[in-house]
Amino acid sequence: MKDAATIENYLRGLSKALRALPDRDRDDIVAEIRAHLEHRTGEGKLAEAIKSLGAPDACARSFIEEMKIQTAFADGGAVKTFGALLTLASRRVTATAGLFVSLVFFLLAAGFAFTGLAEIVAPDKAGLWVGPDSGSIMIGTFDTPATPDTPLPPGAPEPPREILGRWLIPFAAGMSVLFFVIGQISSRLFIRLMMRRKSPTAI
Amino acid sequence: MQVILPYQTSMDVETWKSQLRKGAAELAVLALLETEAKSGIGLLDALELRPEIGLSDGSIYPMLNRLEREGRIEGRWRTPAGGGRGQKLYALTADGRAALKSMRAAWLGFRDELTMIVGEKK
Repeated sequence: MKDAATIENYLRGLSKALRALPDRDRDDIVAEIRAHLEHRTGEGKLAEAIKSLGAPDACARSFIEEMKIQTAFADGGAVKTFGALLTLASRRVTATAGLFVSLVFFLLAAGFAFTGLAEIVAPDKAGLWVGPDSGSIMIGTFDTPATPDTPLPPGAPEPPREILGRWLIPFAAGMSVLFFVIGQISSRLFIRLMMRRKSPTAI
Repeated sequence: MQVILPYQTSMDVETWKSQLRKGAAELAVLALLETEAKSGIGLLDALELRPEIGLSDGSIYPMLNRLEREGRIEGRWRTPAGGGRGQKLYALTADGRAALKSMRAAWLGFRDELTMIVGEKK
């Protein structure tokens, strides 16, 4: 009787911890673990089996992590791939590295997209700017117009010059797409790396 | 001069063994399913005398779950003819058989070459 209560208690915790999975997958896992625990009870090894399975949260995590990695790889979409890296980042170094690398590329993509939109809304403030003295190149938005109507005071440094004009829109769109694709490819590479670490060829 | 303490050596070997087991356990499971379908318990019982493979109650089910989703094995619930506790039996799929064949060839080649370098047990 006590063993039955222990099993029910464990399975309740496991089912709760597996709530991120689809109902069918969750029910199947819980049913299999139930069969396992009942079998071990028959052998008088329930406590040993529960110890080996770990706490319900830990047991569930191993199923969820595997499923997230596989789903992300099979789906290939940026959202699921990035989501999987985000979920696993706190527990796997590879996921942390993948999250960082892909985040940099996604932020660059977002930055270019923002600059392209800014060119539509405020064309005098957005652009690809070239510094008059150093020849440095910057892309983005500036609060002050680069070509003020009023003449510059004597001795004031020349403002940066905008060189792309309306061509900034296709340029920013192209760069945004490019960095988005690179971010997506890099996140998939890290997911593939995590899958490969579980493959027999890793021996 | 580098001083290696016994416990450090022991820890390093355990880490290395854990790396070896990651791939070996999957090959062992596929090989055990080659001739007949087995449940998780059946696989654990078959591996009971092979502790070096490193599969436990806690690690086998996530692995079976993954292999099933990869399409290498197929699980089906069966209830014994006389009634009683149902169990999920796993069998190799065609993809699983093909994977096992490739993995076995790779493993045997790897084992032979490594044995030539390392030598047999002394």
